[in-house]
Amino acid sequence: MKKVYAIEELCLNCRLCEVYCKTAHSRSKDVVKANKYEDPAPVSRVTVYGDNFLSAALNCRHCDDPRCVKACITGAMTKDKKTGIVYVNEDKCIGCMTCLAVCPYGCIKTGKTAVKCDLCRNEGEPACVKNCPNHALVYTDKGGESK
Amino acid sequence: MKYIVIGGSAAGLACAEQIRREDKTGEITVFTKESIMPYSRPSISYYLKGTVKESDMLLRRNSYYGAEDIKIITAAQVKAIDRKNKCVKAGRKSYPYDKLCICTGSKPFVPPVKNAAGKVNAFTFLDLENAKQIKAKAGKNTRAVVIGAGLIGMKAAEGLSKICKSVDVVELAPRVLPSILDEKSAKSVKKFLETEGHISFHLEQTVAEAKSKGDVITSVVLSSGKELPCDLLILAVGVRPESGLAEKAGLEVNRGIIIDPATMRTSDENIYAAGDCTVSVDMLDGSRKVIALWPNAVNQGIAAGSQMAGGGKTVAGSYSVNAIDFYGLRICTCGLINAKGSRYTDKIINSGGSYKRLIFEGNKLVGYVLINSSENAGIYTSLIETGADISALPGDIYGTPGPFVFAKAERDIRMKGALAL
Repeated sequence: MKKVYAIEELCLNCRLCEVYCKTAHSRSKDVVKANKYEDPAPVSRVTVYGDNFLSAALNCRHCDDPRCVKACITGAMTKDKKTGIVYVNEDKCIGCMTCLAVCPYGCIKTGKTAVKCDLCRNEGEPACVKNCPNHALVYTDKGGESK
Repeated sequence: MKYIVIGGSAAGLACAEQIRREDKTGEITVFTKESIMPYSRPSISYYLKGTVKESDMLLRRNSYYGAEDIKIITAAQVKAIDRKNKCVKAGRKSYPYDKLCICTGSKPFVPPVKNAAGKVNAFTFLDLENAKQIKAKAGKNTRAVVIGAGLIGMKAAEGLSKICKSVDVVELAPRVLPSILDEKSAKSVKKFLETEGHISFHLEQTVAEAKSKGDVITSVVLSSGKELPCDLLILAVGVRPESGLAEKAGLEVNRGIIIDPATMRTSDENIYAAGDCTVSVDMLDGSRKVIALWPNAVNQGIAAGSQMAGGGKTVAGSYSVNAIDFYGLRICTCGLINAKGSRYTDKIINSGGSYKRLIFEGNKLVGYVLINSSENAGIYTSLIETGADISALPGDIYGTPGPFVFAKAERDIRMKGALAL
């Protein structure tokens, strides 16, 4: 499946991926409102780690056999059979965050419920990739699988 | 092949699903004593306080079972396992099996409280039926008393605090959540629960006696002699493995069902067991214990299902990992949090409203307690599970762990699946 991969050699630590992830997952879909005014504030699914010397933007690996799905105590976390995307059903999620406790990559964020990358719902290139000025995020099916 | 799974919660469902992945044609039947389709038992406290609907508690859509050809029989209490004739008895019928998995979970341990048995306003708190009965009795004038400040008792107390007039919690141990918190962290959590939830605690106390009018409890008397008015009594001191069926069938049982820790096979080669009803071997210290937690149950269920279908999946190692929240306070724990002895060291990072305790054995991380500091806790969990040498890691692990905890080669695997892009 097509996933987002981070290339640390190209990352500038600008965090535009986070800005546009929040916008894509906001109610207004407006970059200013989403990042400045919307309440509750949208949570970025992608996180830039590191500093100005070395950084990388990390988001969900949409694993083959996801631990978060297996550990989910409510059945809210599922891997879509067709697309392979790992989703949270926010109506079912109680926010216990067991998924976060078992994700070995650190890709689940805490909101009112568990929050994570949904590859922008499979509607073409995700917002983080589209808005990365440095091509430090690529959307491809050539990357390896994560278990 | 005929497969039977007894129990439709975490382990039972995972087992049935894994069998179907590896055997497309076998007949799979899951028996559940509950009257509804498999649902999330841990969600009952959220149901109690009214933040989750019954329909959202179902673990899978009803149509899923038809599509996967997994037969679920609800309201079916299995009475006996006949190993000689390889069948189970439920209701008036016998159901033959080639491979059987026992996933009967836990049963509540009910403390002996004088005059509490059989009263109409005393409940345990384990399944949806309990939650429904409690909810029907609870109102804005209800004074609730919860016995037990463990995970189940405190979730019950939290749920009740949203719908009752008052909640008193009585606990034998000197601290709240004794199984997951140490002295210091328990003190601050207790204070938070008192302020946020208006819960009153009575630590190092037991309930000696219930006073009643007819079959209704009206108050409880603590071991100190103090009397608390009580309209609703919740007995939540703990759980025990539901291993009676296995024991009656002559399988090896010692508190929980004894299984091979990799394959989940019991002392009968055609019978497997998984989840809270079993005795696990903790990979972190080799001790045999009941690990009554969801992720362990699912992992065991998957291994059992695979083995039953002739596949090769096993459990690489069991350990405890748990996440829970109270009024927005997030507590995440893993591994040997009560490790004692000179082999273990720990480091506590306390800042503002957060608390992080990492427990080490030499250069290995073997446990953590994270309170409002659970960001990327799974990275710690993976360090514990893999037994990584902490001293060989280039990055800082005391802050929020991220990809730069690891060296380049490991980062490439984690971020790019090790392929050149």
